[in-house]
Amino acid sequence: MERYMVTHSLLSSWLYAISENPYEDATTERDPMAEFLTVLRREQTEQTEAMLKGIAFEDLVTAILNGTGDQTHEWYYAANRIAGIIRGGILQYGAKQQVRIGDRDVMLYGRLDALKGGVIYDIKYTGHYEAGKYFDSTQHPMYLRLVPEARQFSYLVSNGKDFWQETYRRDETADIDRIVANFYSWLDVQGLDELYRQHWQAL
Amino acid sequence: MIRQPGETTTKVKKIRMLIAGYPGIGKSTLGLSAPRALHIDIDHGIDRIEPIYRRPFIQPQTYDEVLNDLIPENLTDFDSLVFDTGGKLIDLMKPWAIKQDPKNGKRDGSLSLQGYGFVGREFTRLMDHCFYQLDKHVVVLFHAVEDKDGDATRLRLMVEGGTKNSVWLPMDLGGFMEMIGNDRTLGLSNCERYYAKGTRGINGVLKIPALAPGDPNVFLTKLFEQYQKKNEADAEMFAEMQEAYEDAMRRGNEIIAAVTDADSANLNMSLFKDIHHALTSERELKVAWNRHIKELGLTYDLETRAYK
Repeated sequence: MERYMVTHSLLSSWLYAISENPYEDATTERDPMAEFLTVLRREQTEQTEAMLKGIAFEDLVTAILNGTGDQTHEWYYAANRIAGIIRGGILQYGAKQQVRIGDRDVMLYGRLDALKGGVIYDIKYTGHYEAGKYFDSTQHPMYLRLVPEARQFSYLVSNGKDFWQETYRRDETADIDRIVANFYSWLDVQGLDELYRQHWQAL
Repeated sequence: MIRQPGETTTKVKKIRMLIAGYPGIGKSTLGLSAPRALHIDIDHGIDRIEPIYRRPFIQPQTYDEVLNDLIPENLTDFDSLVFDTGGKLIDLMKPWAIKQDPKNGKRDGSLSLQGYGFVGREFTRLMDHCFYQLDKHVVVLFHAVEDKDGDATRLRLMVEGGTKNSVWLPMDLGGFMEMIGNDRTLGLSNCERYYAKGTRGINGVLKIPALAPGDPNVFLTKLFEQYQKKNEADAEMFAEMQEAYEDAMRRGNEIIAAVTDADSANLNMSLFKDIHHALTSERELKVAWNRHIKELGLTYDLETRAYK
């Protein structure tokens, strides 16, 4: 039977599209539905400034772990704190889990920034942080499903200067299977299921 | 001195807790239910508390007064320090921060961006000082405000700037007080309405019993005792799990280090497979094994089921 892949990025893009309807909200210059369709077609998108900063921040953390981090870098303090937490863990670990959702075989997939001692870590660079920012994210529900033996998921958040940690246990994490089931129902209703099947077949 | 995870139970753990709620909901009374509390009444609201529930207090006018009062010889009769409110404490820190470095302030006397960072760090330092040096429970009360987020209404701490995020960092427990029906409640789990911090199995929405005349005000005292029991039970369970994890990691890394060529890889493969895993040790060691094999330039032959 054919299997189809689901990632946190796909779900995140979908949830953004349905929560910020561009056709009813003239205040946004972005077009979340178009962005979602780009993700659904798995087309390459241009990296935004925010994405590039996030990559540069993660690169600095990695460089510190490798002993080559620039100590004069303006982000060094925050990056070094994060490096201290994930040091000794495995980095950029690809995890997958096959599950049955409704009548479909689904391959959940995610790339963990770090895994160490039963805790999944994800590094976030953000210009604006508020405690609880990631409560609605599909990332911790997805990743805790991918690594069933992990105890908790911790977002390591920085704006380049400050550092915050936001941790979620399993008992306060949404059920990712239900979210995926809703996603499939929505694709079906919108007539986008065929497009999804074309681009997200798991090998 | 390197200590083992199980050693965290060697003495009663002090707790740092944040409680937020609308004015008048009873935060101060709840805060003063902590064991042997000193009321640091920066809000000057002691007269709003039922006299029977009042505790010894200080009413500092400046942050220097706070620092001068919070010294070990003044605090021998107290187990808990209740900051009422955290927002007012941060207000006191502002002129103090500008006095420390004029760059922390702007011409109009308000804090600069650098000043907010400085105050955030000082808040964390003070919490650490109360917790580690003074060895006290710390309870910080905050007023809450509503914030519209699309169609949803979220509760937040009434604190300016990024400080409202950094105050969470040192806390073990934190949550929002709300009225649900006729009951006062304390929510200690993240939910769509607010960010909260529960731990050691203390989470969810706790009902705060109404205080009838003569009832002792001991809600937090009991909660802290419950935390302590859970902490001990958790530490025991975690210590076992952590020990098994560390054993597996140590054993796995020893085996990996012994692999220097195809012969030693084949010899050690079965030993590696026999490791008893805990937590995420299996995934972590598999990655380390594969990386090492790759570094040695070895490949796995599916037919002979051996490295070459």
